Amino acid sequence: MKLYWLKRILFSIFSLVVVLITVTFLIYNLMDRSAILTGDAVYNKRRYNEQTMRAYELYEEYGYLTYQDFNFYLQNKYEPIYGPDYAKSDEFVAAEDALFNNVGTNYKKNPDVAAFISQYEGYGHQIVFLPKVTNKSGGVLSMPKLLAVNELNVFQRIGSFFANFIRFETIWDVQDDRLTDRGIHIEWDPRSNMPALIGNGTTHKYLVYFDGNFPFVHQNIVHINLGKSSKGSSKGIDTVDYMMLRTGSPYSTEQEYPKDLGTGVTHPSTLDFHTATYSTADYDPSVFNDHYSSVREQQGGLTRIGNSFVIGIISTIAAYIIGLPIGLWMALKKDKLVDKIGNAYIIFIMAVPRLAYIFMFATIGTTLFNLPFKFVFAENSVLPYILPTVSLGLPAAGGLMKWMRRYMIDQQNSDYVKFARSQGLSEGEIFSKHISRNALIFLVHGIPGNILVSLVGAIITERVYGVPGIGNMLTESITAFNNGMIIGVTVFYTALSIISMILGDALLAKYDPRVSLSGQRG
Amino acid sequence: MSVENIKYQAIDMQKINAAEDDDLFYFVDNNTLESEKITAPRYSYWRSVFRTFFKKKINYFILGFLALILLLTLIYPIFAHYNEFENVAQGVTYNMSPSAALDYFGFSFKYILGTGKNGNAIFDGIWAGALTSLSLAIVCAAINMILGIVIGAIWGYNSKIDTVLTVIYNIIANVPWILLISVLVYIIGGGFIQFVFALTVTGWLGIAFFFRTQVMIIRDREYNMASRCLGTPMIKVVQHNVLPFMTSVIVTILATELPSYISAEVFLSYIGIGLSSEIPSLGRMIQNAQDAFIQFPWAFWGPVAVSAAITIILYVLGQNLADASDPRTHMQ
Repeated sequence: MKLYWLKRILFSIFSLVVVLITVTFLIYNLMDRSAILTGDAVYNKRRYNEQTMRAYELYEEYGYLTYQDFNFYLQNKYEPIYGPDYAKSDEFVAAEDALFNNVGTNYKKNPDVAAFISQYEGYGHQIVFLPKVTNKSGGVLSMPKLLAVNELNVFQRIGSFFANFIRFETIWDVQDDRLTDRGIHIEWDPRSNMPALIGNGTTHKYLVYFDGNFPFVHQNIVHINLGKSSKGSSKGIDTVDYMMLRTGSPYSTEQEYPKDLGTGVTHPSTLDFHTATYSTADYDPSVFNDHYSSVREQQGGLTRIGNSFVIGIISTIAAYIIGLPIGLWMALKKDKLVDKIGNAYIIFIMAVPRLAYIFMFATIGTTLFNLPFKFVFAENSVLPYILPTVSLGLPAAGGLMKWMRRYMIDQQNSDYVKFARSQGLSEGEIFSKHISRNALIFLVHGIPGNILVSLVGAIITERVYGVPGIGNMLTESITAFNNGMIIGVTVFYTALSIISMILGDALLAKYDPRVSLSGQRG
Repeated sequence: MSVENIKYQAIDMQKINAAEDDDLFYFVDNNTLESEKITAPRYSYWRSVFRTFFKKKINYFILGFLALILLLTLIYPIFAHYNEFENVAQGVTYNMSPSAALDYFGFSFKYILGTGKNGNAIFDGIWAGALTSLSLAIVCAAINMILGIVIGAIWGYNSKIDTVLTVIYNIIANVPWILLISVLVYIIGGGFIQFVFALTVTGWLGIAFFFRTQVMIIRDREYNMASRCLGTPMIKVVQHNVLPFMTSVIVTILATELPSYISAEVFLSYIGIGLSSEIPSLGRMIQNAQDAFIQFPWAFWGPVAVSAAITIILYVLGQNLADASDPRTHMQ
């Protein structure tokens, strides 16, 4: 049995890797990347070499390649020697002139250019030279450019994805000579009146801490990295961090600044000092007492994951509560009015495009019950959650009704029920002692799957209502060409789906003595 | 010989008992050929399917509705020549309610549902879009069903392929379908052919897996085992014993598949990665109208209602046909 689960988990990891490789390959190799350029206003406005440079900037932004500009290389080389006036140094001017006055390939004769080319060709990068562009009378329209371009391939991407998949914070994370006493220690945290694990030299100051927000204990030691967002307002944020960000508006509370920690002097502040990370920039001495001065704001509302899970789980529970009794009722009143109405509803849910009935629910909810249509960041209010939950729960209830009705009708005609009936058991006894126990096994098996169905269904629902959740992240990142986040969300959903399948089978194996997953008769 | 015949014969016998018995009876030879014949009513599978199907009166109604929708989707666009930007130069025609549009243009079916945000006629747009949706659904269903059934049948019978395909299926099944097609359409773009590709490249796999399981259940029935033991070639067993059983399974799959492609198109267009803008589609009409669906409801609910009507009709028709094609329902 243990061997079976080990195999199962290994296979799951294998299929996750295959999905990741396929999606990465498809997105970065098959997608027509010039689509990014046509939509970019800056690219369309620029001309000549500046336009080409913009293309490289965009490709780098979207994670297709990295490039090194020769000017930047020169700056790095001569700034330490000549200081801020490095651009006036003889070597710098000579190198620039070599590019500007190039005929054929004689720019390569300049020692700096030659060094640049040999260094980056050694890394396997491609050298791109864009000569100056002049008009007919010799006026310069565009300055020359020299670049070393590194096209990232699938294996580099996958390699770096897994190399960075789990990151542990260590006391050697911060690279700053000013930091002297690196270490980790437990300290009493006056903010929460609980102990906290505090690091010096780690990226985060508070490695483990308590606060009043769910789940009350927070850690910053292990980070799962599903890749970074490559675009838009969220650019550079880890996909996981983005999922964990609260979505409400910032709020202010009376807090002690880190400088006055433990003194009882408070100030109104919107900052959440538990999120402090190291920053090499100068800190504000009126607030902070060390370089752990980069903090996030404290925001209300739930996190993206929180929003999706709250809606997903409540709608699943509601679906079970509504769907099962109605399904049972339909089976008992087979071919009567209840059954016919129920069947019509099931057909409606199975056949009609999900988008259509979500909008129907939305119209009914907004006009009859005056519920808010678009999800607004109203903290401490459940109203915005009602319509998305209903829109997910009612279709799921339809599926359960269909299943329960079918199951009950089949069971009532099965031999063991006929036998029990012929022995004189009452219908109630037959149901509670025989049928319900069999039905329960399959119900339990379906729960993880049903939660998953709600979370996937949320892709559409969250989009319609504008719920800041994970489902919405996928559609947002697809429409914004945010490749990094698409891969992150795909991996997240695939992992979730694998976990729910395994959980479902584990529950089935636990509660049904007839099922033996390892294939051995026990 | 039925019970009633025997009864009448008995009455006759009493009447003529007094008459000469010898004239009434004659000897019949022991005919071995006749005794081998099994007398049963003539049974034609397809005739029984249609008899069972048309026993339900609601099916006439649904068929009539389907005929109407097919007429409108297949014939009407030929005459209408839908052009989304026909009235784009006249700003007054944007977002006109049905009554305003009929006042402005004079009465015609074209403007009976009002105009959209480019002054486009909603009624014409719906049927042009429905044509796209229907052809997409039919093409995708044809490809997926043929691939799925052929591969599923081979899969069910061949244990070597079984291991390979099961691994592939387990990997693909881990990825939520809607996610897969969204990412695929995002990557390869939104032409009609690309759309068909995205919906079919893995779509057949689920059908094949379902079909494989059904084939395996039927394959291991006792009468098929017996048939194989007696040396019937595999192909003959499949053709005569397995495939007829599969007809209702196939129709059931078809009934859920056809609407699902229409839904997929509507959803993908809604999130903005659907069919490209030259192709009229129901999904894009919904997407165009959804920002102001409370303000200009006619532009929104028309395409929603038609896509819902098409999917419901296809689904119900398919389910009823599947019920009728199950031989177990023919004896009732």
